Amino acid sequence: MKKLIDKSAILTFVSVLMLLSNQLSAQEAEKKITKLRYFTINNNVQYLLLESVIKKGKTLSPQPNQPFEIYLDSAGVNLIAKVKTDASGKAKAFIPALLKAAWDASPQHTFIVKSGNDEIISDFIITKTKITLDTVITDGTKSLAVAVMKLENNEWMPAADVELKVGIQRFGGLIPAGDEETYTTDSTGKVTAEFKREGLPGDEHGTIILAAKVEDNDQFGNLLIQKKAAWGVARKIDHNFFDQRTLWSTRFKTPYWLLFIAYSIIIGVWGTLIYLIRQVVKIIKLGV
Amino acid sequence: MDKLISLTNEQITNDLVPQKFGKRGMIWVTLLISLCLIGAIAYYRQLRYGLSVTNMRDYVSWGIYISNFVFFVAISLVGSLITAIFRLANVEWSTPLTRIAEIIAVSAITFASLIIIVDMGRPERLYNLLLHGRLQSPITWDVIVITTYFFISLLLLYIPLLPDLKILNQQKQNYSPWQNKIYKFLGSFWKGNKEQFSLSEKSINILSIMIIPVAFCIHTVTSWLFATTYRPGWDSTNFGAYFISGAFLVGSGGVVVAMYIFRKYYKLEKYITEIHFEKMGKIVVMLSLIYLYFNVNEYLVPAFKMKRSEAAHLEELFTGEFSIMFWFAILVGMIIPICVMLFKQGRKPLPMFITGVMIVVGAWFKRYLIVTPTLLHPFLPMQNVPESYKHYFPSWEEWAITIGSLAGALLIITFFVRIFPIIPIHETIAEQHEKAN
Repeated sequence: MKKLIDKSAILTFVSVLMLLSNQLSAQEAEKKITKLRYFTINNNVQYLLLESVIKKGKTLSPQPNQPFEIYLDSAGVNLIAKVKTDASGKAKAFIPALLKAAWDASPQHTFIVKSGNDEIISDFIITKTKITLDTVITDGTKSLAVAVMKLENNEWMPAADVELKVGIQRFGGLIPAGDEETYTTDSTGKVTAEFKREGLPGDEHGTIILAAKVEDNDQFGNLLIQKKAAWGVARKIDHNFFDQRTLWSTRFKTPYWLLFIAYSIIIGVWGTLIYLIRQVVKIIKLGV
Repeated sequence: MDKLISLTNEQITNDLVPQKFGKRGMIWVTLLISLCLIGAIAYYRQLRYGLSVTNMRDYVSWGIYISNFVFFVAISLVGSLITAIFRLANVEWSTPLTRIAEIIAVSAITFASLIIIVDMGRPERLYNLLLHGRLQSPITWDVIVITTYFFISLLLLYIPLLPDLKILNQQKQNYSPWQNKIYKFLGSFWKGNKEQFSLSEKSINILSIMIIPVAFCIHTVTSWLFATTYRPGWDSTNFGAYFISGAFLVGSGGVVVAMYIFRKYYKLEKYITEIHFEKMGKIVVMLSLIYLYFNVNEYLVPAFKMKRSEAAHLEELFTGEFSIMFWFAILVGMIIPICVMLFKQGRKPLPMFITGVMIVVGAWFKRYLIVTPTLLHPFLPMQNVPESYKHYFPSWEEWAITIGSLAGALLIITFFVRIFPIIPIHETIAEQHEKAN
């Protein structure tokens, strides 16, 4: 009997412990994560993208309407922006013109993110970078020449060992220009990728957008450079499709048959109505 | 009807001229005005805060307002049935009912137009519909055809009223100055000479012919607003005929209700007799059976196939969220009235009045069922849609505006009866003379 009591006591104790540990682990599993990303587009637009999520178990859910303050180099002094996350938990901030002097003063900058009084990101350091993209045709072979330069002691120096993608910009993403998915810059900061995507449809002049992209580099952030080139196949755009007189066209392109039928009915019915109103006028005149 | 033969012209005139509101009439008018005012307050809130005060969202963007619009258009069709079709078919007994049908048509079509404007988020931009309207769109056809039907109905109400206006103008001493002003303005020129009668008869005949295709157009086009959209429950080639048959039914139900109320309140038993109820009863049974036939087609055929896209919609109607309303509309709006009116006793005034009310109420809910459940089942549902999009129940503002519009339509009828004879006096006298000879 005593053994039975002991056993049930142990079982109860273990169950309670398991329940408590489950609850504790559930509470521990919920964690707020704030990430900051830096972007430079075509060497002239720099912006920061802040992303706030809650990690619960294995799922990440965005945190909308969260206010943050983003500073340049020192918290509380150079305010870049006060932002609030959108429904997807993201917020974008451009570096304002007011901070030009501070921005130009150094080749490297630290971005600081504050939530209320808490400094939640303070070690996000970016080195200023420049990326160029040129088209080269040698003996009929087309190539894309990309160079990545970083700013050091007020001089543009080659950025070696930078991994980047080189390709053609489409709606869905970047199609690699050659056989490689990614390329790495050499000691001169350069990469040459052969263009092997002949026959890609371009616009009506055959223009496609070539692009080189550095993604989430620890030192430089995200870089994107784009250049137009007539290396695609010219696409014939059928302007006639929207120019036809159809039921789905604009009101200026109503089909003739519909115009004829509709106006015949309207004129017929309203003509009769006007005739009837004249009859009423006649009735009035007969009585005056 | 035979009782009429023994009546003198003076008796008929005295019985049929408009009467002042009694105590019950004043209570009725106060109630209707109060409902209209509440509706106006709700509409002010909608104008002030936008359509967000309604419960319409991206899924159900046509809610109670469009259901109400379809109801008004439907009930207005009775003008063409009783005034035009009966007239052209030489149905003589319909004389006391013509003006009732026409005023129902005019008031209903007025509020059908207004309720469309209410449904617009920015009514001050209405002119854009005319400036940028596409002739390819059934909505543009609807605007054209509603305007046309309104004018035809108005003329069909006004021209037959002219001989009665002469009678009213001859009895100035019996009416207040404002009434005399109206009578003088509208009919002082009517002398009742041969030429005037000839012109008016000709005009009424033309209107009677013209109103039938226009009436068919108005409700067919309204049905096409739905049928030209590829959605479960609307994708039907039968929709035009289905809507028209339903419209004739609800309109006739409305006329039966009005007949009973006017007969009882104004003591018109000599003019709206049991024979009228008997004959209207037979017509309503026929119309109910036709509408029931279309309903069987509209629901049984898709239910037999149970295409995946239709299944959710049909299940919601038959056994789901809308099942109570659906079976209420079918039973109360069609089956029970048929069962009652098939029997002679069921075609007596009181049972006819009750079944008339059932038909009208059932018809209102039927329009709600045509519009709303379909919109809750889009072919391509949105991802992560808020819960409020998946269900629809009108907000108090929507109810208030809808009830206010129904009260407004009744108010037009009530004021019309207060000012003009609801049964044509001159025609009744003329018919009596014809019978006497």
